[in-house]
Amino acid sequence: MEGHPYGYNIPISEKTKEVPWEEKVRVYEEVKSDFRFKEFLFGCLNCGVCTASCPSNRFFDYSPREIVQRFLEEDVEVIYDMMHEYIWACSQCFTCWIRCPFVNNPGGLVIIMREVAVRNAFEATKDLLKPYGRVLLKVMTTGNQLSADMLQPDFFPDWGPKMQDNMENIRAKRMAIPFDVGKSVKTAWEVSLETAIEMYTIWRETGIFEMLEKLDPNLYNVIMDIVEENEERWEELMEEEEEE
Amino acid sequence: MGHGKSPYLRYAEPEPFPILNKHSHYDHLFEEMHELEEKGEILVYRITEENKPVEVFTRTGRIKTIPTAKLWHHKSCGQCGNIPGYPASIFWFMNKFGYDYLNEPHQTSCTAWNYHGSGTSNPVALAAVWLRNMHQAWKTGYYPLIHCGTSFGSYKETREQLIFNKELRDAVKPILKKLGRLTEDGRIIIPQEVVHYSEWVHAMRHKIAELYEKEGKAKGIDVSNVRVAIHNACHTWKMMADDYPYDPEVYNGQRPAASTAVVKALGAQVVDYSTWYDCCGFGFRHILTEREFTRSFAIQRKLKVIAEEIKADLIVTHDTGCTTTFEKNQWIGKAHGMYHPVAVMSDVMFSALACGAHPFKIVQLYWNCSNYEPLLEKMGITNWKELKKEWEDTVKHIAELEKEGKYDELVEFFKEYDLYEPYSRTSDGFKRRRSASADMPLFKS
Repeated sequence: MEGHPYGYNIPISEKTKEVPWEEKVRVYEEVKSDFRFKEFLFGCLNCGVCTASCPSNRFFDYSPREIVQRFLEEDVEVIYDMMHEYIWACSQCFTCWIRCPFVNNPGGLVIIMREVAVRNAFEATKDLLKPYGRVLLKVMTTGNQLSADMLQPDFFPDWGPKMQDNMENIRAKRMAIPFDVGKSVKTAWEVSLETAIEMYTIWRETGIFEMLEKLDPNLYNVIMDIVEENEERWEELMEEEEEE
Repeated sequence: MGHGKSPYLRYAEPEPFPILNKHSHYDHLFEEMHELEEKGEILVYRITEENKPVEVFTRTGRIKTIPTAKLWHHKSCGQCGNIPGYPASIFWFMNKFGYDYLNEPHQTSCTAWNYHGSGTSNPVALAAVWLRNMHQAWKTGYYPLIHCGTSFGSYKETREQLIFNKELRDAVKPILKKLGRLTEDGRIIIPQEVVHYSEWVHAMRHKIAELYEKEGKAKGIDVSNVRVAIHNACHTWKMMADDYPYDPEVYNGQRPAASTAVVKALGAQVVDYSTWYDCCGFGFRHILTEREFTRSFAIQRKLKVIAEEIKADLIVTHDTGCTTTFEKNQWIGKAHGMYHPVAVMSDVMFSALACGAHPFKIVQLYWNCSNYEPLLEKMGITNWKELKKEWEDTVKHIAELEKEGKYDELVEFFKEYDLYEPYSRTSDGFKRRRSASADMPLFKS
């Protein structure tokens, strides 16, 4: 069947059709086995209040009601298909969650689906997250997600002429921020090295580096170079301090 | 009134406003939290008298305790990186009220912006990051105050997941042990309340209003004619919705109270508009890589509506993403004849301006792409051009000192200039060479 009689009218992609059924079931079960799944999905009246108030629904072919309905109907094929592009339209505002009379959390289901899509390194996910690499590089290496040097005017011409002015003489402007740890260009605030090292341990122990390697091997290599350099620097500092 | 055995769960009696949601799916976590504490599995980082607590209500009528002093500032990467006047205004108020606080480099982002944008994390990693930061706060004896709305929402959610899922606690404990981030007897640190800065502003609103009367008005500032549209951030009040302040004075307890209450306390005009409920369009990933969506939503559902329905002078926000979205996505509207200029800033930035803070040195409006100048005029800050020139001269002075390599003079300059004593005030006398981002001359050893 192409699409669905009441809602998901996006034709199942050819790529999804070619994937063996067992593989689709495996991915579906991976989503369902997440410990949050049972806390995010209850009953559904199909009232559509979630979709009516969904910001993404206004501009994308996306409906939180469909997410809930497909899971309740255990529609493995559609869920698998949704996990390639559909779910990335969600704004993660959780308006659906606060409005649902059953306290379903479609935004929460989406985040589980995204996580599984990333873990399985779906091609569509790789493509979608390519422009997001700068954020990943920053957060993985410094523990900070955003910094002044990421806001290059060339990337944001649509933010207007004031944005262009802001970046002139940026080092001095950052130093003129009147609290000490805020005077950094490469990070939002100055993060101590030991704190960044702790983050690396968290990434290693929770499989984040591993996941990143599958998602974007080039980015992973760049990140690991910085991580290893910082870890060496930390060891040297510790040795120096011991000697002192 | 107390509820069961847990000292962390109390309800207001009588009900402060009509309670529509009497079947909270959230509040019982405070009972479970107490049980886990009794079993010796967690240590609840309690709010004490030293924190000068103020009580507010959540939408279920639960009494939420807001610490107002001796705070550990959990900064926001979006604010510090992109809206530095946001945290500077918070610190400025702390100084004005003479409150002790800690602003450390030993803090990471919550990493939840990245998670909601890209899915490249997982609950164990998010929990480990949160608990590491909370342990650092606990170690210093200062209570965590979360600046970012997404950090606040994510931390509330992570706390709920940890309290109700032994598997998650079991998964995160060995990591924390490796980091040395458990108590000596092996417990994880869970704060009694997860507290957002906007809750602090809400709890402090009467003191802020007093400061406005005393110092702001003395400078000729008057906000009584300022028309304000309030935008509440989704991750503060829609995410873990039962844990955010409501108040009988704000729409009879039927809408979130923070931000609206402080604007009202200052005597400005809060003006209602039909799409108050909508998000801003930030979308986490969207603001960077799906900008057509973000700007379309921000302009059509918020900026246009606010301009046409209420002609506001200002949109008051209380989160990083919303502030950025609204102030950065106005100019582009000119391309489609949809330019609706309006000033945008957070509740604490507006409050600081009203109380007489320097618009550029403290509130750092220089970074703001919105049309803030007419607002300053309307507030009576008519000398804003001189103040801007003063700040620009300061930037030039700093740039010259750096160019000439006069680092000692720079350090001396900042001792007078900064809101916060340089590094010696961190919990361990931070050494500059130990920076993960040593990109500024001041940080070099």
